[in-house]
Amino acid sequence: MNPFRVAVAVARKDLRSEWRTRELVPALAQFVILALLIGNFGFQIDSRNAASIAPGILWLALVFAGLVAFGRAFAAEREQASLEAMLMTPASPVAVFAGKAAAAFGLLLLCEAVMLPALSLFFGTPLSIEVVAAVVLASVGMAALGCLFAAIVARVRARELLLPLLTLPLWIPFIIAGGSAVQSAMGLPGNYQEAIGLLIDFDILFLVLTSLAARFVLDE
Amino acid sequence: MTYLVLAYTFAVVVLGGYLVWSLRRLRELERPER
Amino acid sequence: MNRYEKAAGGAVALMLLAAGAIFLYAPGDYLHGPVQRIFYLHVSSAITAFGCFAVVLIGGIVYLRNESPSADRIARAGALVGVVFTTVTLVMGMLWAKPVWGAYWVWDARLTSTLVLWIIYAGYLLVRRLAEPGRQSARFAAVVGIFGFADVPVVYFSVSWWNTHHPGPLIINNALPPEMLATFLFTMLCTLVLAGVMIGVRYRIETLLDGRHGVTERAHVVASRRPEASPEPVP
Repeated sequence: MNPFRVAVAVARKDLRSEWRTRELVPALAQFVILALLIGNFGFQIDSRNAASIAPGILWLALVFAGLVAFGRAFAAEREQASLEAMLMTPASPVAVFAGKAAAAFGLLLLCEAVMLPALSLFFGTPLSIEVVAAVVLASVGMAALGCLFAAIVARVRARELLLPLLTLPLWIPFIIAGGSAVQSAMGLPGNYQEAIGLLIDFDILFLVLTSLAARFVLDE
Repeated sequence: MTYLVLAYTFAVVVLGGYLVWSLRRLRELERPER
Repeated sequence: MNRYEKAAGGAVALMLLAAGAIFLYAPGDYLHGPVQRIFYLHVSSAITAFGCFAVVLIGGIVYLRNESPSADRIARAGALVGVVFTTVTLVMGMLWAKPVWGAYWVWDARLTSTLVLWIIYAGYLLVRRLAEPGRQSARFAAVVGIFGFADVPVVYFSVSWWNTHHPGPLIINNALPPEMLATFLFTMLCTLVLAGVMIGVRYRIETLLDGRHGVTERAHVVASRRPEASPEPVP
């Protein structure tokens, strides 16, 4: 079985089932908007400090939305059963994992499609291609890591507690580099090129590591 | 200085306490099961 | 007194000798005063903790390759002892930072990555505690341990990169006078011995616990020899 086609099939299945139930995306969209609201009241944002605070709120909102999204990626009962069925086929576990990670990445992109315009609207920060590129690049690595650890905690008690605990330390490099990229794209001091370069390096590193680890985590 | 004393007291309590705790745990487990 | 207790006694005696060296032999630091003596055990603990986590890493890799339960057990032991030493490192570091830098905490690369290290391995221990003991929990933990170990240098690098835009107090490493160096090396050695004894004791505890849960060499071999499910058509 061609692993690329397996991955695409898995990704389509995941995204299609999410579309059919339409639970996750609206909830995430609402969550993201609420996070922005809280940011505004928590930080007392005005037009002068918006650019320095907005990136922080962006990453906070994205991280928590990501945790919610990935928590669900492997959670449901039917999800477990269909996962086991998939793994009993000759399809390679790495391909299955790649498909799930791609679907998770897609969901994250949808969150960002809501959040970035809202951020720009509420805080007056620019919505430039640089900002979008930084966020999208960071999401690649974050999706791969989030998916891997969601698979790990899926069968463990207290998974809602464990997922953030395991995933966040690994997301820190992405938040640092991504945060810096977004800040410099919004006009604060910083080297955008360097930050993007770091994001790409981290993406490559963690994509390789997660695909190597996938067969140990998904294999039954 | 108090910071020095605090720091080493903490270290002794944690490291010593852990050592004692684990040795006692070992003793409990080594006891033959009934 | 069983042999573990004897070994522990020896390790404690060594630590007392180290304490003697730290407080009586090593010269005082005229720049920072007596607080400077914290650094001997603080840095030794940090290096020892890294050593423990390297044990977790190697145990995890060996486990993923050949499913040997003893590799998993030593990984568990290393993680617990490593977290203990990381806690000591962090607290001693904070108590040193306050009088020297004026703040208990700064977001520099070293401190931040040590904190992240602590969080990662505390997470490792939680995964072990919450997952059913056995093959799956061992595999998951091995993956967590490996990613955790890889993450720390990445975090260190990211934070020090970030710090080029947000400079904070630098930790300046002056050349150490020979008595200080000797004291430090001796303390390092004693701390490593202590960690070794702790890991040994913990390994024995884990072996006994495994025995109670029926996780023995044999059970592992049986589990991994289960015939692969034959391919079925995807529903």
